[in-house]
Amino acid sequence: TAMTSQVKPGDRLPQVTLFDGAPNKPVRIDELCAGKSVVIVGVPGAFTPTCHSSHLPGFVADFDKLKAKGVNLVICVAVNDPFVMAAWAGALGSGDKVLMLADSRAEFAKALGMDIDLTAVLGSVRCRRFSMHVVDNVVKSVNAEEDSSKVDASSSCRLLTKI
Amino acid sequence: MHRLGFCAGQLGSLRLRLAGQLLPARAMSLKVGDKLPAMELVEGLEMKKVNLQELFAGQRSILFGVPGAFTPTCSRVHLPSYVRDYDKLKAKGISQVFCLAVNDPFVMQAWSDANGAEGKVRMLSDTQAIFVEAAGLSLDLSHLLGGLRAKRFVMVIEDGVVKQLDVEPDPTKATCTLADQLLQSL
Repeated sequence: TAMTSQVKPGDRLPQVTLFDGAPNKPVRIDELCAGKSVVIVGVPGAFTPTCHSSHLPGFVADFDKLKAKGVNLVICVAVNDPFVMAAWAGALGSGDKVLMLADSRAEFAKALGMDIDLTAVLGSVRCRRFSMHVVDNVVKSVNAEEDSSKVDASSSCRLLTKI
Repeated sequence: MHRLGFCAGQLGSLRLRLAGQLLPARAMSLKVGDKLPAMELVEGLEMKKVNLQELFAGQRSILFGVPGAFTPTCSRVHLPSYVRDYDKLKAKGISQVFCLAVNDPFVMQAWSDANGAEGKVRMLSDTQAIFVEAAGLSLDLSHLLGGLRAKRFVMVIEDGVVKQLDVEPDPTKATCTLADQLLQSL
């Protein structure tokens, strides 16, 4: 179980640094999201089957619908290093639609209470599968998957009904 | 080419779990003349467990280690050198080539696909860094990549015994551990 209780509507985004494509390209998540309507998607692992073939493609495909609802930015976060996240973005063709940020040391996942120990299978603490809508750094909705190997509550179509 | 006789292993207690048995804590480092430990690593999308001793028994093999799949040096230079020189390695009596990293099998497979390694270099996931820690080949890259990783190294293994071991002094570079350098000593 996570050390921190899980993030909920009304909470502010934590002031955590993520990485955009390389270890020397830090990004503060709260600075990035200030003043914007943002969708944040958390996934257990870049290139893992469900994340790669179901979860992320939904957000890439629904990008225009999200924009039509006023979303300025879609971010995907995983506990992977920045080079792996950049390579995954390339493989998914997510390009200018989904910003892939590396939560290399699981700081963001832990701050949100979304950390899950997947050491046995993936080698480290990872991020649970969830989607979240945040406006000007205040969380509006959180949709966490109970079973991180599935995509149901955290899907893009489900999130669209909540924005 | 540097031929580093392998330096003394790190002190610190490591508990090795082999065949379900907990061994007493001891420091260990792999050196020329040692047998590979009977550890299980993981290969492929099916998450197949592979036993190192079985994998390298009766064969003349290369095992090279990299700090990270998709990282610049590993991707631009190191893995491609083994994919490109695979046939030359086979001509020198090498029957199998493995690349090892502390990355999960899904990342390793994607990296293999991106580099056309299929059928040439097999990918081994030392997912929990058990092999690199036991062998004294681990590198703390927490500040850059988020955790313990493999040093950049290459080994020649004959029937499960390490015959040659070269460790790159600067892990961000690939010099003595490249395939064309290794070919000169085979």
